[in-house]
Amino acid sequence: MGLITILMVFWLSIIIVYVMLNRGIWVFTDVTKGTSLFMLEKALGPAIDFAEGRKGSGAVAWIIQGAVWLVISSTLTFVGLWLGHEPTALHSLSAWGLNPTSESLILAGKLSTIFGAVGMFLIGSALHIVPKLSNTDLASEKNATLVSFVWALSIFIMVIGAYMPEIFGVKILLISTLINSLALIAIIVNLLLTASSRERKMALPGWLIIIGLISVPVSTLAVAITGNLTNGTGQWALVRLIGASFFLQVSGVGLYAASYGSGNPLWSKSLTVITLAGSIFTLNPIGFLSGELSALFIGLDPALMEPSRNDVIGGSFIMALFAVPLISLASNLLITIRGDDSFIENSDNPGMAEINFGAIMLIPVGISFLFVQTDYLSGNDELIGLSSSLHLLAIWTVLVPISMGATLCIFPAVSGRNVLSANRSRRAFWLISGGAFTGIIFTIMGDFSNISLLELDPEAVITETPNGLKSLGSVLFYLVVLGSIFQCLNMIRGYYRGSQIIDENSKSSTSISLKSYNLTKTATVRKLFSKGATMDTEIVPVNESEKQGKPTEL
Amino acid sequence: MISGRDIISSWDVIMENENGVSVSEFIEGENEPAASWIFFILGFVITIIFLILYGILFPGSELPVISSILPIFEGVFDSGLWFFILGIMVGAFAILGTMLTEATSE
Repeated sequence: MGLITILMVFWLSIIIVYVMLNRGIWVFTDVTKGTSLFMLEKALGPAIDFAEGRKGSGAVAWIIQGAVWLVISSTLTFVGLWLGHEPTALHSLSAWGLNPTSESLILAGKLSTIFGAVGMFLIGSALHIVPKLSNTDLASEKNATLVSFVWALSIFIMVIGAYMPEIFGVKILLISTLINSLALIAIIVNLLLTASSRERKMALPGWLIIIGLISVPVSTLAVAITGNLTNGTGQWALVRLIGASFFLQVSGVGLYAASYGSGNPLWSKSLTVITLAGSIFTLNPIGFLSGELSALFIGLDPALMEPSRNDVIGGSFIMALFAVPLISLASNLLITIRGDDSFIENSDNPGMAEINFGAIMLIPVGISFLFVQTDYLSGNDELIGLSSSLHLLAIWTVLVPISMGATLCIFPAVSGRNVLSANRSRRAFWLISGGAFTGIIFTIMGDFSNISLLELDPEAVITETPNGLKSLGSVLFYLVVLGSIFQCLNMIRGYYRGSQIIDENSKSSTSISLKSYNLTKTATVRKLFSKGATMDTEIVPVNESEKQGKPTEL
Repeated sequence: MISGRDIISSWDVIMENENGVSVSEFIEGENEPAASWIFFILGFVITIIFLILYGILFPGSELPVISSILPIFEGVFDSGLWFFILGIMVGAFAILGTMLTEATSE
């Protein structure tokens, strides 16, 4: 069975899951709810008593650990990029039996960024967003806190596995997958229990997150059921489907934060539906090029990619359709954070700049990947030399900014305190975004030079030009490491010493209070509601005046 | 009313008083830099002076102690990458130190 069969089974499974969830989550009857809650807390015995059960503690644990992983992952990526132009830079470590290569470090950097930093930011945000949109509390804060450490352990093992896939015959990445799956299932059950006790209709970003998380096990099952886990096409499809799950989570978290941070209503509900449906019913081209990694993660041998003619045509067509949810998400994010203005609203809110940057980079990165993936699927392999650097660009200019921006937006709500300094946060943003964009672009230029030189003479030794460009790229990427350290310190210090949030409604820079609102210019009723006004809010028209402290007539 | 202390602590206050009206006059502050910073800068300046004088008085001679320690690291830190890693290690220890001190402070 080919690619189309895998996709049809996956689509059918997701539709069944979605219908089940929307019809009241009947799988979670009172008995299963009670059992699940027991499994999340009491069944874990004394271990659960180590975790804090305070509201928001689960989300904070995930977010802070995500920030620490950001430092580790940027460091691994930076050293990997450096070894790309100076392979012997760390040869002194061979005295300890360590021989890290550029490829192994970049792989470790990518995995720790995707699953460590981005993954933990997304789940940390989800633990706040889903209960908030359900108007209820998280089913088990204690379990969410405890599981964050299990997840972090799995990432640590994953990083070791990227360097040494097998130790004493034991497949390290398989162990990491097993531990990671355990944590993921606990989080899914926790969020489903929360959603099942919702007291109002959950908004679409919540569904994007939940479907995104559920699609990880569902996609693996779909590939396994169709018997394609051991062939190249199945392994490649699994990587694409896992990529879609991340895209769904990033969309949900990003759209929520764009509205929450800017104070504007989510621009378009229909575009959000298109993002949800489009991510599921198309193939996500962004991500690892081959299916080798998915095979290693499930303890199988990587198979050669030998797609049939139908797979190539169908796969390319379905991948091209991914442009639809991509453009929907980018436009929805950009317009939501701008509202009815051409500038970002509430731009002092840490996180808005990150989301804006990620949304701008979504389309160019997505379209570039479309070309690289179709080139790989069709077997031309002309652009294969760019894929690794392009993947880094996707991770550091789309995934990291949107997930980190969303995290910064909701950080005060979950921790009760603001980050220590909004200025430091902004400086870290410039370092991370500037360093990632320029550093990786120079690396891609080096890759292009390599491709051109090899086309001219396949025996050609890599010359000074690409190495010079890659050297510059790696040095510029060092700014990302510095930015990550500053951002991590800012968040940790903010958690302990940041200015306290007394009333959640007072976080926004809006002048609206619950009792009254000073109206200085014309505004729609929708806008007033989105700013926090209620039916009982008294609207006070304020005349413009030249007097000190009054609105000035321009 | 604005006080000199406020002016030194925030650059914004130099430009405006509390009513947001610009202050178009010279105002002198009362704050002074901490003594520890003065000694730190003095130490840095004295080190630079010592190195320059040593280079003038003993041209071509190696620095005592330091020149005998540095060869130990030959072949270990022989790539520019290690300087960057040193910076990262400072950052990593800053994070670790912040976590420990913030969690244990009252």
